[in-house]
Amino acid sequence: MMRRGIGILIVVALTGVGRADDATDPYALEVAKARVIRAAVQRIRPSLVTVETIGGAQPIAEGPEGVREEAFRLADGPTTGMIVSQDGLILTSSINFARNPTVITVTLDDGRQFVATLLGRDEIRRLALLRIPETGLKVADWAPGEDIAVGQYAIACGRGLMGDAPFASLGIVSAVGRRNGNAIQTDAKVSPINYGGPLIDIDGRVMGICVPMAGSGGALAGAEWYDSGIGFAICKEKYDFVSDRLAAGELIEQGKIGIVLEEDESAIRDFFERLLPKKEQAVRIRDVMPGSPATAVGLRKGDRILALDGQPVGDVPEMLRRLSDRAAGETITLTIKRRWRKFDVTLTLARMEDMGKIRGPENAGSDEGESDDGGVEPDSETGDSTTQPADE
Amino acid sequence: MRRWAIVHFGMLLITLSAASGIAVAAPSDEPERPARRLVAPNSTARAFSRSEAAVVKLYGRGIGREHGYGTGTLVSADGQIVTVLSLLSARDGARVVLSDGRTMTATFVRKDEYRQLALLKIDIEDAPHVEFKDSTSLELGDVVFAMGNWFKVAEGREPVSINRGIFSMRTKLDARRLTQDFSYEGDVLLFDAMTSNPGAPGGPVLDIEGGCVGIVGRIVEASATNTRVNYAITSEEIRAFVGGEIAATAPANDAGDGEGRKEGYVGISISRLGFRHVSPYVERVRSGSPADKAGVLADDLVLAIDDARLRNANDYKDAIRRLRPGDKARFILKRGQRVMTVTIEVGEKP
Repeated sequence: MMRRGIGILIVVALTGVGRADDATDPYALEVAKARVIRAAVQRIRPSLVTVETIGGAQPIAEGPEGVREEAFRLADGPTTGMIVSQDGLILTSSINFARNPTVITVTLDDGRQFVATLLGRDEIRRLALLRIPETGLKVADWAPGEDIAVGQYAIACGRGLMGDAPFASLGIVSAVGRRNGNAIQTDAKVSPINYGGPLIDIDGRVMGICVPMAGSGGALAGAEWYDSGIGFAICKEKYDFVSDRLAAGELIEQGKIGIVLEEDESAIRDFFERLLPKKEQAVRIRDVMPGSPATAVGLRKGDRILALDGQPVGDVPEMLRRLSDRAAGETITLTIKRRWRKFDVTLTLARMEDMGKIRGPENAGSDEGESDDGGVEPDSETGDSTTQPADE
Repeated sequence: MRRWAIVHFGMLLITLSAASGIAVAAPSDEPERPARRLVAPNSTARAFSRSEAAVVKLYGRGIGREHGYGTGTLVSADGQIVTVLSLLSARDGARVVLSDGRTMTATFVRKDEYRQLALLKIDIEDAPHVEFKDSTSLELGDVVFAMGNWFKVAEGREPVSINRGIFSMRTKLDARRLTQDFSYEGDVLLFDAMTSNPGAPGGPVLDIEGGCVGIVGRIVEASATNTRVNYAITSEEIRAFVGGEIAATAPANDAGDGEGRKEGYVGISISRLGFRHVSPYVERVRSGSPADKAGVLADDLVLAIDDARLRNANDYKDAIRRLRPGDKARFILKRGQRVMTVTIEVGEKP
């Protein structure tokens, strides 16, 4: 049934193509297509730059044997960037800067070379913003998000190789709204050559910025999925979401709550709840890390989380997925059920390195504290925190 | 788990796109057409039908990382086969399986270490073979086809596989950044068809008309980007090799170490603090030296020499070793926040 549906779709799509072009000449379509690709690349070309980094070390990892070089090798060849403001802002992928390079150079399409300053990095979306001391640059045009549809042609462009012209690979838009709505997925070959470069449509408009987003995540996720038929490009909406923070030089990294989650196993206890028409799905807090945003707003072991930002949470993986692109400094609202009481807490996500140091109202030694972040209900409970184990 | 879901979805899409390629000519009004004709009028099928008989499967013994199989391209009616240099091509006795299933034993004719090519020959008359075409005729976006026996999926009388892609650019492999010892400095053709698979090297790359514009070169991994490169050696180089011209080893390869060669001298000492990954900062410029005359100053950072980017002091040393007295070397320097280019007339070591 499903398969037949797809088959019909293909036939419909192809008859469309056949009519549009002279089907008697088997080459006409190919020749026309090549011309379109050339025109599209030509249009984006003045906004493409080569980004090179010099110096910096292989990131180190701390393991049981002590500190050593990360076994995984990072890409550090020349790569691509795209001009996003006429006064020198260049958007590229953060993968190029994990080594903290001493020098970053940017070469424009006309061959002029500049030393660039690294402004901000977004380790969630793998973006980085550079600035070069130049004005009058050609800014790339973006394709409106609503124009981007699955199945349309997509061309991944790069300037990470020696040559007179940009590098291009052709594919289609495989999916939109991937990775929490951050990325467009494409089957155009995407590799370190074009990380940081744009994924364009056949009109030469930018649909997204190609970045490495392998499955494992983590700031050092590298090129594992290069040329695999699964490439990602961050869409304009999400770049706009972080562009001010990047320009201000912020490092955007995943935010932490400081809780360990587990599936809500209270199904038996809630046997009677199941007889009721609406059962609330939830995840349970198995552990709370001291000095974390969670303790600051009084979250406790055993609390059940019903909703994140007003949307019900399904299970632990779903909750983690939805948190995966929330950065430190951003606020989230959790709907908590503690025994029979239901209340909302709003907390600000913390950076990994600040975990353990977050001071909440209970540390300040006052129930009312300076906190006005909405955690009213748990605030009034902070005196009970020593009785937490009994709370199970 | 989620990753697999995405992989499967990707595969579904690939299957769909492949299916659409085959179905292009499916005529809705002529259902009685024989199946063979269904795929005929598209350029992939045409390139395939013209060339599949000219591509042979090679088998031999594999050792370690070397695979015991590969692809060869028939380039003449008397049975000359071009393939890449490997254990199975480097001596007599490779088993050749033609697309019609005939099996022959190849004799070794010659090899070219620089281009990493081998020429074999089978005893045959009127062999199907590819027609070479000038690779400079390719432009960005042009459709290209790559054929080969990747992962040896084709067996016996099965023809090899075909992949399509677009031509991306003509460039040079940056040999210094390759993990393997492959110092080929000629132009290569880059495209987005996947050819960096085991067994693929030696297969032809065809243009829209089925003309052979290149041969897939041996698999190389770029250590700078940690990725494999999809590329082909140009038809011009292949033709030169088949015609008997064996390229000398790359000039860069024997640079510096040869005895009696005059070493180049610029007069720069680079600060080496003893760490790895040291950037090549100029510590001192000898007064009156070529670098001094060109205006190089202490504390300049040498970014590149003659378009070769330098990542560290070792790259600098290698680049300097390649210079000869009389060369005009283009040094790209970073001074403060400026990037500048100076031309140094390389002198002789005093």
